[in-house]
Amino acid sequence: MSRSPPLQTAPNIDVGKSITRGDWKVTTHKLPILNSTEIEAMTTALGISPPEMIFGNNSVDVTNEKLNWSISFNALDALELVDKSGESMLKVSYSEAWQKMRERVHEDIKEIVKPYDWTYTTNYQGTVHSSDRPFQQTGSEIPFDKLKRPDPILLFDDVVLYEDELADNGISILSVKIRVMPERLLILQRFFMRLDGVLFRLRDTRLFIEFETGEIVKQYQAREDTYANVRSGLYMHPPEQIPSLLRDDSFIAERLPVIEMERERVLLG
Amino acid sequence: MAIPKYKTSSVDLDECIERLYKKELLAESVIEAICNKLKEQLMSESNVVQIMAPVTVVGDIHGQFFDMLEIFKIAGYCPDTNYLFLGDYVDRGLFSVETISLLVCLKLRWPSRVYLIRGNHESRGVTQSYGFYTECSRKYGSANVWRHFTDMFDFLTLSVVINNDIFCVHGGLSPSIHSIDQIKVIDRFREIPHEGPMADLVWSDPDPDRDEFSLSPRGAGYTFGAQVVKKFLEVNNQSHILRAHQLCQEGYQLLFDGLLSTVWSAPNYCYRCGNLASVLEVDYDGPRYYNVFEAAPENSEHRDAAAAQQQDTGAVVEYFL
Repeated sequence: MSRSPPLQTAPNIDVGKSITRGDWKVTTHKLPILNSTEIEAMTTALGISPPEMIFGNNSVDVTNEKLNWSISFNALDALELVDKSGESMLKVSYSEAWQKMRERVHEDIKEIVKPYDWTYTTNYQGTVHSSDRPFQQTGSEIPFDKLKRPDPILLFDDVVLYEDELADNGISILSVKIRVMPERLLILQRFFMRLDGVLFRLRDTRLFIEFETGEIVKQYQAREDTYANVRSGLYMHPPEQIPSLLRDDSFIAERLPVIEMERERVLLG
Repeated sequence: MAIPKYKTSSVDLDECIERLYKKELLAESVIEAICNKLKEQLMSESNVVQIMAPVTVVGDIHGQFFDMLEIFKIAGYCPDTNYLFLGDYVDRGLFSVETISLLVCLKLRWPSRVYLIRGNHESRGVTQSYGFYTECSRKYGSANVWRHFTDMFDFLTLSVVINNDIFCVHGGLSPSIHSIDQIKVIDRFREIPHEGPMADLVWSDPDPDRDEFSLSPRGAGYTFGAQVVKKFLEVNNQSHILRAHQLCQEGYQLLFDGLLSTVWSAPNYCYRCGNLASVLEVDYDGPRYYNVFEAAPENSEHRDAAAAQQQDTGAVVEYFL
């Protein structure tokens, strides 16, 4: 039987989507996970092991060259903000039992692999490049009424930046959705984390841009609740539906109380 | 689709295999029968099964049925090619039921040409979170089929040794296990526990930057380093450790100066990772060849279904707010 030679490169899922509206350019990249050389480089840069599925070459970028302003959403910058001190470390649900058992059997093994937040929780809100126009705190909301109009969507994408199964103790995922309409765009970057038996976490960053006026509104929202609270709120659902509901970030999001909220705005025009 | 009823005593394996190659589901009663039969057969397998090359070793599949069929196309069909599967047959992909059904039938039909090791996903707990439970309930209308399969998982072996020389396991080494003989006395006929040597074998990961065992920052589980690997091979007179369990973009990865390899057999994992996959062909006298492959073209027909299931990444245009 003939054998094909080893392949050198992975197939690209998507070579990039792009659209221009006036002075605004939007680009998304969806590429394969990093290879071992790239992972090594990222591990050195971050000082921690990256998540199991690391889409280090994926990104969502919005640029306005004329106004010298851009924002980029990418995995490396998001992971830079993960706690590397070990101070906010969570433990898996059976950790205590495991530790007790282990101490009896292997007292000699004390070294913990680089303590860090292995859930990869991040309060990343995109990487802004701008010469002189910082965001300002604001009371004003993203104009959702404009976003509820059935305007045609000229570009839509859903880009995963990283994902980890927490060694089968749940899920942790950072992804970015974008939709570009003729006059505006909306980005939703979501970090969703479920640590089984312990905690649910959500970190949403919404970014709204009105092309004509150069108005940009950013809203950051952190939501969190214990696993037990969320689980007990699902008593009316049939048991066979529970596992898939616990994976559904939109379903869970509505059930988590808001613990932090920030709104910022900048007018570029 | 008319699914013929079988009596538990008279399952026609060849017919089942033929159906499954066409991706047709078996009846619930047939699943029950083949799982029970396989349990009987696996009862007599040791925790450390000794086999001889040639054999083709397959890593994680995770319900990517078309990619498993691709493996048979590339590396040969049963029984012309001997197979050792390193576990993680179910969860994540769209066709865990078809995948594990076919593997069970192949193992029953050619018991000494097909070997199945237990992975950490061959467990009641993990399959409830990562898709197999939901898939069984959806495709059969109840969790019975899931129960038959997961009861059978308790009987799968934990390790295989090829040619008295290559130690094969799903995850890795355990601080409780110095000699391979210590694996033989584990009571494996149970759900995978959270701690102890059985858990370590299906869970642990190598850490190329370290020498010894270390604790995972997660608060449970170990990583094992270079000296651990060297010592284990020396003590047990083995030349190589072969394992799966970790996604790698290239489809396989060699660590510790080639003393350990990871084989990954789910290309474009979760229909979005864009990674390659491989199977490892071990020849008569030991040389190893990594046969690298890409995702099967049939997957694209199921892309929409995949997108719908993987709701986080589906490219379906939506008016999200």
